[in-house]
Amino acid sequence: MVECLTNKKVLTKGNYAIANAAVIAGCQCYFGYPITPQSEIGEFMSGKMQELKRGYVSAESELAAINMTIGAVSTGVKAMTSSSSCAVALMQEGLSYATTDELPVVLVSVMRGGPGLGNIYPSQGDYFQATKGGGNGDYKLIVLAPSTVQECVDLTYKAFYLAQKYRNPTVLLADGLLGQMMEPVEFYDYPYPEIDNSGWALTGAKGRDGRIIRSYGPLADDRCVFLEKLYEKYRKIEENETEWEEINTGDADIILTSFGSTSRNVKTAMKISREKGIKAGFFRPVTLYPFPNKRLKELSKTVKKIVTVEVNMGQMVNDVKLAVNGACPVELIHKGVGAPPSAKEIVKKVEELI
Amino acid sequence: MEKNFIIAGFGGQGVLLAGEVLANAFMLAGKNVTWYPSYGAEMRGGTVNCEVVMSDEDVSEVNKSDADFIIALNQASFDRFLSKIKKGGLMIANSTLVKEIKTRTDINYLFAPITKLAEELGNVKMANILALGILAKAGKIVSLDALNQALDNVIPPHRKNLLPLNLKALKIGYEYDLLPAKI
Repeated sequence: MVECLTNKKVLTKGNYAIANAAVIAGCQCYFGYPITPQSEIGEFMSGKMQELKRGYVSAESELAAINMTIGAVSTGVKAMTSSSSCAVALMQEGLSYATTDELPVVLVSVMRGGPGLGNIYPSQGDYFQATKGGGNGDYKLIVLAPSTVQECVDLTYKAFYLAQKYRNPTVLLADGLLGQMMEPVEFYDYPYPEIDNSGWALTGAKGRDGRIIRSYGPLADDRCVFLEKLYEKYRKIEENETEWEEINTGDADIILTSFGSTSRNVKTAMKISREKGIKAGFFRPVTLYPFPNKRLKELSKTVKKIVTVEVNMGQMVNDVKLAVNGACPVELIHKGVGAPPSAKEIVKKVEELI
Repeated sequence: MEKNFIIAGFGGQGVLLAGEVLANAFMLAGKNVTWYPSYGAEMRGGTVNCEVVMSDEDVSEVNKSDADFIIALNQASFDRFLSKIKKGGLMIANSTLVKEIKTRTDINYLFAPITKLAEELGNVKMANILALGILAKAGKIVSLDALNQALDNVIPPHRKNLLPLNLKALKIGYEYDLLPAKI
């Protein structure tokens, strides 16, 4: 098990990296129910949180876990839950509530094969679940997609920060490949400023008026005002927090785009394509919401084609098409479930597409 | 340069741990490295394997279709992974449990009685680490020093009493080729 040592390289699994980073980020409470391929997060927390005299509850269900997290963050402390695909499905009601409650819930979603019970192999089939949501109403979750174990650390820190900064539920969207693989990582002190939540947190009404955090909005007009305000916040998030990685896009004829662990193979495929004389570029959204629409739109004007590579039946490709809005053709290379297609397989398909 | 390794055997033979030690050694040598296990419906007595990819640059991908080095600790793993070795690659096989049959002529073989050597050391569970010693010598890609340090990294504080025996297993594997007569 990883120790909370900072500034020292350790070889660790993605799941442990996420859990350890959450502890360093100041997560005071963890609630969860075990499910492969993310059970190591709960395992780590069950020991470390008790050792640090913080909160750990092995919840009776995922429904309970998300609602416990909502309860904890409403008091102003940092808290998180983690789960996988079919069990994140059970949390959708809570996530929708947390957006109207404007609560900084952090959810780690380590994707496995679906739909339904599916299987335990890696997958990216929950892009829709995370970015479009299965809860009711107009809401958005901030979604961060790491591609290496080091990014599991970096983006866990960021997830806590963005959740606090915008008082909005934030999802770290990893997958079974990242959760189970080990890579050298460096832990470091939480790099973001602490957000003052004394203006809204439920800390007991001694010496001040009571506060209410609620999802209910009975009056139609009031609700319209509230939703406009909520979407003003989302526009701010889109302006300030959109993040992506791009390589060799300047002179590219074809851009390969992908998110999460799959993008590793795609980056390699881009390099191999270059060696073969194909002017290929690489584009990886780091934030899935907010999605880098503007940058993709710009790129679509200078390239001949954009190819999306995913381990699902084609989900992010829809957002790419919306961003590009017909300016260039958008193609899909995909595999339903399992480890990503190899770089060689991707290159072969790219050669067919060009 | 990028090299990848598959370590495979029965569940319980410590193949995942051996991979973790190897990956740690690469990390200590300043390389980029990724360790990826077969996980899921594996169980004690079934076959299990892990892949370690070491690279001077970013690790290009995991779950590769072929490997430079394979350690097969049992017959099932030997049979399953023989076809995955790259031309000119090295198959290290545990001849205590694997038949010495060389069906491919385009790869190198190193058959060593890994289980038997571990038993002679006094603990059959040392077979995995002993195999790493053999790999270090034959593969010339990871040093014995780095593996020694990696073992210290991987063995948790409450199991440190097992460190000397593990170090000894590494050394026996490393010096296997010096044995006067093959056992």
